[in-house]
Amino acid sequence: MFEQIIMAFLNGILLGGVLALLAFGLNLIFGVVKIIHLAYGQFVMLGFYFIYFFHTSWHIPLIPAMAMGVVAMGLIGILTQLLIINPLLNAPRLNQLLALASLIIVMENLAQVIWGADYRGIPITMPIIQFGDIFIRSSFLAAFIGAIFTLGLLYLFLNRTYLGLGIRAVAQDLDMAKGVGINPKVIYYVTLAAGGALTGLVAAFFVPIYTVHPHFGASFTLMAFVIVVFGGMGNLLGGFISAFIIGIVTSVTAVLSSPEVADILAMAMFIGMMMIRPQGLLGTES
Amino acid sequence: MQPKSKFSTYWQPLVLLILVVLPFVVTSSYLTHIMTLILLWSFVATAWAYMARFGMVSLGHGVFLGIGAYIPTMMFNYWGLTPWIGVFIGLAVAMAVAAILGYSCFRFGLLGDYFALVTLAVAEVSALTIMALRAITGGGLGYTLRSTGRLADMQFADKRSFYFIALILLLGAVYIWRRIDRSPMRLALTAIEESEIAAASLGVSVIRYKMMITLLSAALTALGGALYAQYVTYISPDTIAGVGVSLSICFKAILGGMFTVLGPFVGSAIIVLLEEYIRISLGTSFLGLSQIIFGISLLLMIIFMPKGIMGSMTEAIAKRLNKVSVRQ
Repeated sequence: MFEQIIMAFLNGILLGGVLALLAFGLNLIFGVVKIIHLAYGQFVMLGFYFIYFFHTSWHIPLIPAMAMGVVAMGLIGILTQLLIINPLLNAPRLNQLLALASLIIVMENLAQVIWGADYRGIPITMPIIQFGDIFIRSSFLAAFIGAIFTLGLLYLFLNRTYLGLGIRAVAQDLDMAKGVGINPKVIYYVTLAAGGALTGLVAAFFVPIYTVHPHFGASFTLMAFVIVVFGGMGNLLGGFISAFIIGIVTSVTAVLSSPEVADILAMAMFIGMMMIRPQGLLGTES
Repeated sequence: MQPKSKFSTYWQPLVLLILVVLPFVVTSSYLTHIMTLILLWSFVATAWAYMARFGMVSLGHGVFLGIGAYIPTMMFNYWGLTPWIGVFIGLAVAMAVAAILGYSCFRFGLLGDYFALVTLAVAEVSALTIMALRAITGGGLGYTLRSTGRLADMQFADKRSFYFIALILLLGAVYIWRRIDRSPMRLALTAIEESEIAAASLGVSVIRYKMMITLLSAALTALGGALYAQYVTYISPDTIAGVGVSLSICFKAILGGMFTVLGPFVGSAIIVLLEEYIRISLGTSFLGLSQIIFGISLLLMIIFMPKGIMGSMTEAIAKRLNKVSVRQ
């Protein structure tokens, strides 16, 4: 039992890394475009299917197929901005939310029409690493390392490049950013493209771990969402820390009782945080 | 206040008359079923709009719907307790949950987006709880009401009975809406929506008024859930609790227009009819295709009619008549 809890703890940390990447994208979109991307987990589902499709139907080797999946999801992100978010930029928050909820209906059923309701996956066997009585799946470890590496690159992008600084400027103060000559529309497109590409990347990390089905994304949307709000909306470091907290708590609870109870606990933590500290773990009061 | 024209005094009794006579004229049981669903969802959407029109947008009304549906059904199946009593137990539980939730939200001053997010999480918790208790609730497979066909068990030989129950409930909800409009409660809640601090400084009891409208909305929603369970006799976390159904209630009210009393009715009618029409016209050829078209239609309506159908219409009429523009 003790080994199981240790293993769940380690898996929680490893899963937390991937969740941090997912939450990062959601957070970035919220911080810059000020929109809650309710269909974010469904993007991961679509990205997974794209990789599956490129690999099995077009017989492209796995790694290039994953790269193509990332690019495809970036394009889908741009399309979302163009067709759905742009017309609703000044609409009430609730309308934006419901528009993205309709996008969930469209995407889940699109996946069902094209690929059917079956579970689909690419069979990859990755070795299991053993330390004494503790086993770690190397697929989890690879996903974790990949996610942390990507987060590092994103940090450099946001702090060292002109475009990244532009994104941060728009997130901090839209009017000032316009004043110094940044075109927010361009920044919005870049952000949605980056957010979309991130879901493709998360999907690539999930390929050796999960199998995909049309309703695969729902739980990840909510998880990413809980992490973002828990850490403080728009606060990237807060999201990073809370991803590990939520990852560990859900992973350990799932071993001790059941996955549903783990999710309920995550929601309860989220609700409690909203009541006591609505700005989140590291957020500042606005 | 809404501008009252001569037209409205005539068409309201007319609509009512049509609704009462319709099930006797239309003999097709399928059409009666569709109309019952429209009335039922209109009732729930109206109850939801009680709160939403004062700025309390709940994305978690599936909780109350689920409690109202599951408690009487399970009490009947396990203990043989007649739903005539069970419905009220469900109602009481839903109101208790609403009281706890509402009080903690309002006490900590959760407003706007934050309120919406917390209620969304609560909706997910309700579906997860039903899944976690799968030993007694049937989990994701759903739960079927035991059929006896006896009036004492709220089961009617003539399915049209449910049509009239739903109609009476909807009329009741519309009546309460009108009563709220004429009461000091409306003024208080409008003031609270504008600014809680200003309202409180004028002596308006903020938490009390918000609690009253929340309890009312939750109770009526639970009643809608109970009716749904008794009518359809099959409930599952996807259809009656959780995020999906909570959002679909919002869809109906917002598409119709949540600031007008008939908005939720119009929205429910359009969505239910659209869903059925698309499902029937291409249901068998492609599983899921009908839902894609449904989702795209919703998207288009939200983008091009942000104030809802009734909202846009009243605005257009007001413009035509050169009257003062209605509430934004």
